[in-house]
Amino acid sequence: MKTNKTGFLASCLAFLRDPFRMFGVVSFVLLLLLTIAPAKDYFSQWHGYQRQYLRFISHRTDALTLQRHFHGGIQQIWIPQMNVVDRCQTCHVGLTEASLSDVQQQPFRAHPRIPHKLTEFGCVICHRGQGAATTVGQAHHSEMAGEEPILPARYMESSCGQCHQGPLEGTPKLNQGRVILARYGCVNCHSIILPDGTKLQASDNPPPLTHIADKTTREWIYAWLKDPTSYSASATMPNFKLSDADASDISAFLIANSTTNPGDTMPMPATAVHSSAPDPTAGASLYGESFCASCHATQNAAGNLVGGNLGPELTNIGTKVRPEWLMAWMRNPQHYDPSTLMPQYRWTDAQLKLITAFVQSKTNPDLLANVHLSPATPAQIAHGKKLVIEYGCASCHQIRGIDKPDNFGPNLSRIGSKPVVQLVFLPGMERTLPAYLTQKISHPRSFGPSLHMPKYNFTSAQVEAVVTALLPLTDRSFELPLNLQRPAVQETHYEPTDKAGQLMTQLNCLSCHRINGRGGDMAPDLSWEGSSVQRPWLDAFLKNPNTLRPALIRRMPRFNLTDSERAVLTDYILAVYQTPAFQRDELPLSGYSPDQVEKGRQLFYSKYACQSCHIVNPNQDKGYIGPTLTQVGSRLTAAWIYHYLKNPQALRPGTMEPNQHISDDDARSLTAFLMAQKSGASQAARK
Amino acid sequence: MTPPRDFTAEVSSDMRVSQRRVLFVTRRTSSQVRAYEEERVQTFPEVLIRALLAVECLFLGLVLMSLFFNAPLEGIANPTNTPNPAKAPWYFLGLQEMLHYFPPVVAGVLIPGLLVISLIVIPYFDINIEAQGLFLKNRAQRLRLSMILCLALIVFLAVFDVYVALVPTAIVAFFLLLAAYSSPQSSSRFRSYLAQRPVSWWIMTWFLFQLIVLTAVGTFFRGPGWSWVLPWRS
Amino acid sequence: MPNRLETYFDRLERTRVWKSIFRSGTGSSTLHNALAIQQNLFLHLFPTKVRKRMVSLSATWYLGTLTLGTFFILVGTGVVLMLYYHPSVPQAYSDVKDLRFVVSSGLFLRNLHRWSAHAMVFLAFAHMFRVFYRGAYRAPREFNWVVGVILLLVTLLLSYTGYLLPWDQLAFWAITVGTNISSAVPLVGDKIRFLLLGGHQVNANALLRFYVLHTVILPLSAVLFLAVHFWRIRKDGGLYVRQSEPGNVENSAQPASEEKKQS
Repeated sequence: MKTNKTGFLASCLAFLRDPFRMFGVVSFVLLLLLTIAPAKDYFSQWHGYQRQYLRFISHRTDALTLQRHFHGGIQQIWIPQMNVVDRCQTCHVGLTEASLSDVQQQPFRAHPRIPHKLTEFGCVICHRGQGAATTVGQAHHSEMAGEEPILPARYMESSCGQCHQGPLEGTPKLNQGRVILARYGCVNCHSIILPDGTKLQASDNPPPLTHIADKTTREWIYAWLKDPTSYSASATMPNFKLSDADASDISAFLIANSTTNPGDTMPMPATAVHSSAPDPTAGASLYGESFCASCHATQNAAGNLVGGNLGPELTNIGTKVRPEWLMAWMRNPQHYDPSTLMPQYRWTDAQLKLITAFVQSKTNPDLLANVHLSPATPAQIAHGKKLVIEYGCASCHQIRGIDKPDNFGPNLSRIGSKPVVQLVFLPGMERTLPAYLTQKISHPRSFGPSLHMPKYNFTSAQVEAVVTALLPLTDRSFELPLNLQRPAVQETHYEPTDKAGQLMTQLNCLSCHRINGRGGDMAPDLSWEGSSVQRPWLDAFLKNPNTLRPALIRRMPRFNLTDSERAVLTDYILAVYQTPAFQRDELPLSGYSPDQVEKGRQLFYSKYACQSCHIVNPNQDKGYIGPTLTQVGSRLTAAWIYHYLKNPQALRPGTMEPNQHISDDDARSLTAFLMAQKSGASQAARK
Repeated sequence: MTPPRDFTAEVSSDMRVSQRRVLFVTRRTSSQVRAYEEERVQTFPEVLIRALLAVECLFLGLVLMSLFFNAPLEGIANPTNTPNPAKAPWYFLGLQEMLHYFPPVVAGVLIPGLLVISLIVIPYFDINIEAQGLFLKNRAQRLRLSMILCLALIVFLAVFDVYVALVPTAIVAFFLLLAAYSSPQSSSRFRSYLAQRPVSWWIMTWFLFQLIVLTAVGTFFRGPGWSWVLPWRS
Repeated sequence: MPNRLETYFDRLERTRVWKSIFRSGTGSSTLHNALAIQQNLFLHLFPTKVRKRMVSLSATWYLGTLTLGTFFILVGTGVVLMLYYHPSVPQAYSDVKDLRFVVSSGLFLRNLHRWSAHAMVFLAFAHMFRVFYRGAYRAPREFNWVVGVILLLVTLLLSYTGYLLPWDQLAFWAITVGTNISSAVPLVGDKIRFLLLGGHQVNANALLRFYVLHTVILPLSAVLFLAVHFWRIRKDGGLYVRQSEPGNVENSAQPASEEKKQS
């Protein structure tokens, strides 16, 4: 056997000794090898998937339709203006087959319904990944420069944000993330330039620290710096993880750097606070009547926060502020902080004492029980200043003698396109951009103890929302063709003028109301309020606001306005805040024929079934979704009702009121019916 | 040391046929010409078929390699994102390694310029046509000179911290020393071989050695910031 | 079977068309074989006869031949690759991606081109050192050595200019590093760099310039110098033989006639 083998080998070698024979053999092998490359193409991954797909659909009942729709070979979506060549459909064959939407076997499932056409935008614009690739690994997991791995589904909303810079109905997570970016002051350190050239503005209102000593004590500042959440569970101030000595030095500097501003504090009548404490129930009811909880939260006995988040949490406010400062603040908040959102309530001195004492009584004695700071030395103060500069405190807070640093943190305008290769990951971390951002936000110091980024008090859902809001800041969002850009509606610089304007500034109407494109969204937009309401109602409402919507907790507080102040405001609102769409007095307020009123009633209850959302007769109607209409004839102008019925969205963009395409006649009859719902009449009906 | 020769050799350069005419002028006899008449084969087909065969074998190897190993392709060029380290193609990594130690004028212009010039002038230096061993004549003087040169080079490289080039230089210097103390009649074949190497051989070998070491270091042992890394630990 | 094939060949060689193309005529006599070289434009650069011992592998390792072989492979694959390539930014990169993902055997072609380029640089270097250590650069071959050095430089430049064409990070930064060196040349450094790149930085202009160099100027000059190189081998007395090597008739292992008989 062995000899046979060696003999065979030897004869082979002898055969190959001749270069001509050798040449023939080598040429043959070479030709064979050269056929492998095309063969490799035939056995490529995508060919396999397409064969698999054909086998898969052949067992279905709709096989014929699917087979007719099937096209073999490379399939691609080509969008030159966005530099997109997506070949995903080469493997994801059934992407547009609605009947395959419940298929479990990938890559054959149909794409869920979305507001856009697949062929119009391709795949990678939303899903990322490498569209040009035709292998699974390269298409989904490439990390090279200019290419991105597939975006995990939980961050999918972020892709909408590349074009849509404003809030969208279908992207709650993205909207929330954007609110957090603005509200938690992220953009105070990290500038974010949006594709339309505007800079993302912070919406939080960090207090100025220029006169901080008037307001609070060094001990409180120390405790707050050490851990803001120990004072208030909802603190927006992040934790800088300062050492005891550093926190002590910063508090020493802030107190020493503070100047006294006459008027920041009010002398407290000693008797008022200590000997004869005001009635706590009276204070509590004033707190309730003034709807303080609309903006300020407090922790209830169960530990849950109750109240709005426009102002700071007040659970332990008595431990923080000095009473003499608090009273001055309650009288005129704008004196201490001109940019505050808090309105000037115009309380009487007695009310001021009452509310101050009530608010001051909310304390947590444990907080400062263990804080004992030795008097500050000049060295400590100097070190404190150094730390304040080092940590960029002035990025958010106004501090005397320290300028607001420009771009304290890295610019995040294009963070969503940051190549994975440029990121430094911790050992064991998932190597993706979302994972990096999540870690960076939730545990910033894990990347190195010397980093200055503080730790925010975010839940994991909030972190996910912030990441979702950061991911759309891509290169692509800057390079979009003009017809695809959907910039956010920008806040205007509207300021009410005149005497009424001063009054509205004092009352901080814009903290809650939006007027001419500026202001909060807690209360109704007042831009066209003058066209919509009747003068007597407005005057009465300003005197004693009662609510239009009983289901809401947040209500308009009473501002204790004088008659002349009310007259100024009413005149201004009625004269200035007019819609250009119609004349406010183009329809009469009363004098409609009973026939028309009756026709309107029938339309209201039968044809349009308005009672399902609104209440006209409190005894029988059950609609609580829309505002109650029992006294609408005394409140709204006939012209407003008529035009509102014709097209609600034109007058109140985003309202839930459906546009029922009501005919002119019907609208007029309904208007007549609604205008008949006067305050006297309804009271009469109730009786 | 030198085996006694009784002739001088000269090679003429106006050859029209392939035979080599070498004129030997001996001291004892009159001049005579000895021409080698050796067997030759036809270029076609004997040589061409072998050449073709060699090229085919190479092609075969390259095809196999292309089937199993993909050519590198990184992400699209991005002028704002500098990879660390940014490396030149492998055949320039020796130069890039030099660039790490010397100013660009020296490493980027002077060294490659000198290299090309010296490569070009090599054949015009036929001072040692008989390719005599370096130390077969004037041994003491040549040893002194070469050692001084080697030492100067080593000191120069040490001053610039170019240990990557210094080590090969030192190794070549060591063998130079070994050659100086070996004779062609040495019983060790290696030492006998070294003893017969001419000066041009030593220079070229030094250059080749440097080229290999520098290129290998640049390719495999350089990481971010051109720092020293081990290829198996990345 | 082989006999029938041979008769077919013989018949083919006797046709008028064949004779009009190949002037050397039929037969395998020495004269015919010599004419086959002489009468062919491409082969006439070579000598008609070569020393028998130079045919053996150990004499040359065929390094020069192999370098030429890689050049042919590169020209072949390169021309096909040119069909798919636009020297523009960022189209160049997408073209290379398409070669990889869509073009039939595109990946194979690019691999072959790339690896052959590396092989050619390596073989050129190896050839040079081999020639040096054999002493084959000495008179009368001095000029051919110089031509060889020029060819080495052309090879390096070919490989280097081709390096930029995929327009990926590797390409971009390798060229950036390389061209930055040229600006170190005293006085005219920046001018040279500007000339190379067609601008002050590596961008679309540089890509176009490198493309033209890589596909037209450098291959043409390589062909030119290759022709000179081969011509000079013949004119300088064939492949170099060392005197010390056994080469006399008496020393050769087998007479040619015997070898013929075997085949």
